[in-house]
Amino acid sequence: MRTKNENLVEYIKNPDVVLREEDIDGALLFNPDTNQIKVLNTTGLFIWKLCEKKHNIGNIIKALKNSFDQVPDDKASEQVKSFINEMKESGFIGIIKDQKE
Amino acid sequence: MKAKNSFHIIPTPKSVSISITGKCNLKCKYCFYANEMEGLKDLSTEQWLSFFKKLKDLNVMDVSLTGGEAFIRPDLFELIDGIISNNMRYNILSNGTLINENILKKFENGKRRLRLDYIQISIDGSCAEIHNKSRPNSFDRAIKGLKLLKENNFPLAVRTTINKHNLDDLENIAKLLLEDIGVSSFGNNESMPIGSGCRNEASMSLTNKEKLEAMRIIEKLLKRYPGRLNAQAGPQAKLKMYAEMEHAKKTGEKPKTWQMGYLTACGCVFSKIDILHDGTIVPCCMLPGLKLGNILTDSIKDIWQNNKIMWDIRNRRKIPMKEVPGCENCEWNEYCNGSCPGMAHQLTGDFNRANPEDCYREFKKETGGIDAL
Repeated sequence: MRTKNENLVEYIKNPDVVLREEDIDGALLFNPDTNQIKVLNTTGLFIWKLCEKKHNIGNIIKALKNSFDQVPDDKASEQVKSFINEMKESGFIGIIKDQKE
Repeated sequence: MKAKNSFHIIPTPKSVSISITGKCNLKCKYCFYANEMEGLKDLSTEQWLSFFKKLKDLNVMDVSLTGGEAFIRPDLFELIDGIISNNMRYNILSNGTLINENILKKFENGKRRLRLDYIQISIDGSCAEIHNKSRPNSFDRAIKGLKLLKENNFPLAVRTTINKHNLDDLENIAKLLLEDIGVSSFGNNESMPIGSGCRNEASMSLTNKEKLEAMRIIEKLLKRYPGRLNAQAGPQAKLKMYAEMEHAKKTGEKPKTWQMGYLTACGCVFSKIDILHDGTIVPCCMLPGLKLGNILTDSIKDIWQNNKIMWDIRNRRKIPMKEVPGCENCEWNEYCNGSCPGMAHQLTGDFNRANPEDCYREFKKETGGIDAL
């Protein structure tokens, strides 16, 4: 279950990252500062595009459920958090706001 | 009109190779960037900066800055900053002679060092006498530039172009680069009859017997320095390719990394495109005569996706070697890939031919082939 704290953290894409949509099934991201490439599936690409504007985890999950069929309630939250965390760790997205309660 | 094709291509090139100047402080004997290039005028700073913005819109990932000699441009770092501000990485191909402490300091500003993949320096001899035969009056300055880069921990690449003058010096070159200076590895290719190399072919290009000797030396060096010599073309690359052809013919086992029996070399037109210093767009620097347009007036994206010449080069892959003129009855046509279309075009006037420079049938006839090693 999400805590109130989690939704105070908002994420936004690193503006230097290059998005290449090379295939109908996904895309790749390129971070020119680290020379890292990340391959995205359609869900990852959807989340990346959401991060054009700032979003918290709750917003991202809600948008996913509105746009994709059969998003499992129990797993979606953990998977999105894991994806966002990985993207943050590798510098593809950043935190725009991290307020204390 | 959109050319018919059956290949999936990426929508825009990942990499762009840009000759930012036609000017050079050297006159190397095998320079491919010669003859027809001398009359073209360099684009201005503003024109290149405007082009880099267009590359950002195409999501290009990296650019290679070549020449001429890239460091001859006084606005080089302004151009580098333009590349960085448009979200790309870069590398520089250089003769190394203009690199000094002041230049290196300039790389420390902003993200210039962070976004630099490597600076490549050409070294063709272990001493001035040999290096200067192909790259006149430049050995001391090139070595000084190379050592400065190494001492300051710059990402480095070194390229040795094997030619008649340095064939017997290859072991000394390897020792100089890998032991004395301590670079991690170096690349090699060979002098080819294109550009100035065409004018100087008799004194520069290797004969098939000399190519075999180069392979013999490289084999020895690879045992002495495992993994520290690399090549995309030239004797080392051919040694690997010919060995795979012999193996496939004897066993029927074909390699998984490249397709035999079709004109499948090379992959460049599937991922990159080249720009000459006046903005002319060409498929590759080895095909400088095939002008596809100019960055000042034409769309790279449109040329990438729709230009007939680009598609004709990509579609080489559909042409079986047994249908290539001159290769119809060759016993190797099931195992060959025709090699570089640029050299084929240069030497035969048609990129849909095999490159005569890399013909294994001729090589084997003259030398006994790689079994003679």
